[in-house]
Amino acid sequence: MIAIEHVTKLYNQTPALRDVTLHVERGEVLGVLGPNGSGKTTLLRLLAGALSPTVGQLMVAGYDTMRQPMEARRRVGYVPEALPLYPHMRVCEFLTFMGRLRGLSPRVTATALARVSKQVRLQEVLTAPIRTLSRGYRQRVAIAQALVHAPDILILDEPTNGLDPRQIMETRHLIRSLAGACTIVMSSHILSEVERTADRVAILLRGHLLGVRALADTPDLEALFLSLT
Amino acid sequence: MSALGVLLRKELHATFTSPIAYAVGTVFLLITGYTFSLTLFLTKVANLTYMFHQMYVLLVLLVPVLTMRAFAEERRADTLELLLTAPVREVWIVLAKFGATLTLVVGLLALSGSYAMVLGLYGEPDWAPVYGGYVALVLLACLLIALGMLTSSLTDNQVWQRPWHSASPSCCGSLTPPPICSQLLAISSL
Repeated sequence: MIAIEHVTKLYNQTPALRDVTLHVERGEVLGVLGPNGSGKTTLLRLLAGALSPTVGQLMVAGYDTMRQPMEARRRVGYVPEALPLYPHMRVCEFLTFMGRLRGLSPRVTATALARVSKQVRLQEVLTAPIRTLSRGYRQRVAIAQALVHAPDILILDEPTNGLDPRQIMETRHLIRSLAGACTIVMSSHILSEVERTADRVAILLRGHLLGVRALADTPDLEALFLSLT
Repeated sequence: MSALGVLLRKELHATFTSPIAYAVGTVFLLITGYTFSLTLFLTKVANLTYMFHQMYVLLVLLVPVLTMRAFAEERRADTLELLLTAPVREVWIVLAKFGATLTLVVGLLALSGSYAMVLGLYGEPDWAPVYGGYVALVLLACLLIALGMLTSSLTDNQVWQRPWHSASPSCCGSLTPPPICSQLLAISSL
């Protein structure tokens, strides 16, 4: 579903990612672990199409993100860490806007709105202005906008950042419930989060991919992380 | 509706629900109304020469207020990333913002057309310079909006953009004799 081949990303000659090769299978949840500045967000932004690789190739759902960016973006839902939302819009307006922007017809958008609001449990705040929502609800709205067009791939950058323990549990359950239906790539710097949510883990350090392991074969993620980093 | 239409609708909604648009509109119409009344009573001549002169200066000063948030605000709220990862072309995002601001400015110019209507009702103005003047102002507005969006895309700081943007067409005007306002005056006196 995702094929990253020898990707390097430079910011003004400073490498953020160096020769990363990684494959993710359909329906899999991949956790991307690494300390701050290790290149996690750069990797996710490359997959979402927000950045272009300096060297290498990224294939998303069979489409090259450089040569067929529109096709690739149609199949990806992306939730950045900063929760980009329009505060002046109501939740339903925002989700409708995102659905229409991704090419859904008004009728399909209405159906999709009902589906995601149930999936992410947003029914009670659908008519509320986004600026009045708590951090937890904003997180749900951000996830809902990424799911509104039923993407093949969901990319989540630090999805539990800033949430309270209950919201973290809910987000974790949501991610697990989506696994299988779509391929999920999520970044985190919290080992336990990745351990409980992902099927496999990719560990990054200073732009290098140090290793990719199945969590079923990794009894002690903490020890593995420490040994690699 | 295409993605461009969806983006344009969103930008129009954002523009026309913003208090800045109404503040700019009020200032523009108050000042042009004052100039129109004053020049009409003083000169008793049915032309809009001074109005065009005034509107040129007003557009240079007020358009940056409308455009300064275009991209800076999107970047500050991180929503630009949302648009850039959607299956839309970057040029559509720019065109939607340009179109929404131009709609507002053209709307203001259209409202100022009521002064021309007053002249038409009570006098015999030469219409060709009036039409020409309005076409020139719309083209000037296009230039200013494009410049404003360029500066908005280059910096996050909205306060810094205004003097830079206001200065650039003024500098261009002073370096290009005769400036646009003088050309408008020349057209009006034909």
